[in-house]
Amino acid sequence: MALRVEYLIRETTTNLWRNVWLTVAAVLTVFVCLALFGVSILVGKGADSLTSQWKGGIEFIIFMKPTATADESNAIKKVLDESGTGIKSYKYLDQPAAYEEFKKLFADKQELIDSIQPNVLPPSYRVVPLDSDADAVAQLGKQFQDKPGVYEVRYASETLRNLESLTNLVRIGLLAAAVILLVVAVMLILNTTFTAMMSRRREIEVMKLVGATNWFIRIPYMLEGLVHGLVGAGGAAGVLFIFKSQIFPKVQRINLFQYFRVTTGEVWSTSLLILGIGCVVGVVGSTFAVWRYLDV
Amino acid sequence: MIKLENVTKQYKGGTVALRAASADIQKGEFVFLVGPSGSGKSTFIRLLNKEESPDEGRIVVAGKDLGELSGWRVPYLRRNIGCIFQDFKLLPKKTVHENVAFALEVIGRPKHVVNKQVPAILDLVGLGNKTGNFPSELSGGEQQRVSIARAFVNRPLILLADEPTGNLDPATSVGIMKLLDRINRTGTTVVMATHDRGIVDTMRRRVIELDKGNIVRDQSRGVYE
Repeated sequence: MALRVEYLIRETTTNLWRNVWLTVAAVLTVFVCLALFGVSILVGKGADSLTSQWKGGIEFIIFMKPTATADESNAIKKVLDESGTGIKSYKYLDQPAAYEEFKKLFADKQELIDSIQPNVLPPSYRVVPLDSDADAVAQLGKQFQDKPGVYEVRYASETLRNLESLTNLVRIGLLAAAVILLVVAVMLILNTTFTAMMSRRREIEVMKLVGATNWFIRIPYMLEGLVHGLVGAGGAAGVLFIFKSQIFPKVQRINLFQYFRVTTGEVWSTSLLILGIGCVVGVVGSTFAVWRYLDV
Repeated sequence: MIKLENVTKQYKGGTVALRAASADIQKGEFVFLVGPSGSGKSTFIRLLNKEESPDEGRIVVAGKDLGELSGWRVPYLRRNIGCIFQDFKLLPKKTVHENVAFALEVIGRPKHVVNKQVPAILDLVGLGNKTGNFPSELSGGEQQRVSIARAFVNRPLILLADEPTGNLDPATSVGIMKLLDRINRTGTTVVMATHDRGIVDTMRRRVIELDKGNIVRDQSRGVYE
């Protein structure tokens, strides 16, 4: 067994060195592809937090005063229920729910969360109108403005909607590029493995001849693919952490993007996902090559 | 040890390499396969270690019916069969020792076994003093001895030899044949395809003659023709 492990490590490293430039190409492709993929996921998460209050067609929010009474709140609810013609749906966020949302928005600012109690946050009605035309929405929202207990009515601005579609566009673009590169990565790994096997076909011939099992012959090449995938993914995960520590804080400084939040936990989970994909890409690519070449 | 029953092998394109061939080879026999090029000698040998499969007929090797042997067990069959070739099939970047050790390593033999058996077999084939040399530094005869060492280091039941002296001069060939004879005397069954009339006539062992895929002669203590 000891010999096997030693043999596997030796064979795998020799293979990696033998075609060092192909190895580099395969690793780089996996790296670029997974870095793009990971960044697109993080941008998505950041954009989610950016517009989370406005998800699902919510066009305006009626913020109540934290001190508003149940009667005042019920009065608003009654109007919303009655003016059913213009309103598709609405959702009431009480103070505990508002606090949960607040915690999510400021997940990386623990001291801020600690300084806030649920009872100082405003409960709110999130309203989805039937007609999302700006004038109609303004018309609809205006009637709540001066009701007792209402703190303010806030509208989803044009800018915010534009921002949402922009981040979506960026996200889809990155994702599409990542998927294409993923296919390229699999093919490059396949090709690299194939080249490694071709350059050692005499050895493989002898191994078959003396009765080495197919798995024994295959595994070093599959490990090689795994190494390609893992090294590339590791680099990509590093890029994600650089984005988290260097790029995202700069983004947050831009006025519009102040709610752009990506938590460290999200960076970790995305990194793990990327490492997983890296493994799969490496193993799938090399397994294809090995199976096509190594029929008994 | 080896049994062929009505074995037919036809290649794509219609060439019949072997036609309804039957033969029974006992443990410890030494058998020459003779016949002109294209008569089916190599196919005969390749069928025995399941590099090829017959279209018809049954082949039993070392107690295993090859037709019923599933793919993943083929490697284990091959561990009982040593093979040597006209072109030696040595690995040029490995030393003599490494070439032989490789055959044991890849079937998972532990290191202490490898380190004990390899020098012993290299002594047996007369290359005890060349273990650190590369194949390119050896003569043809010496290279074939390395390949015999590699084929025999695992003490297989059967040794298949496809024109092992095809690239060697007559004097060197005699040395190789003495070695194969010695291996045969340890109880290993040897099947050797050859063109070498001199060798067959000198050794006087069983001769199976093939012509266009047909077994035309099977004679104990035979001559080339």
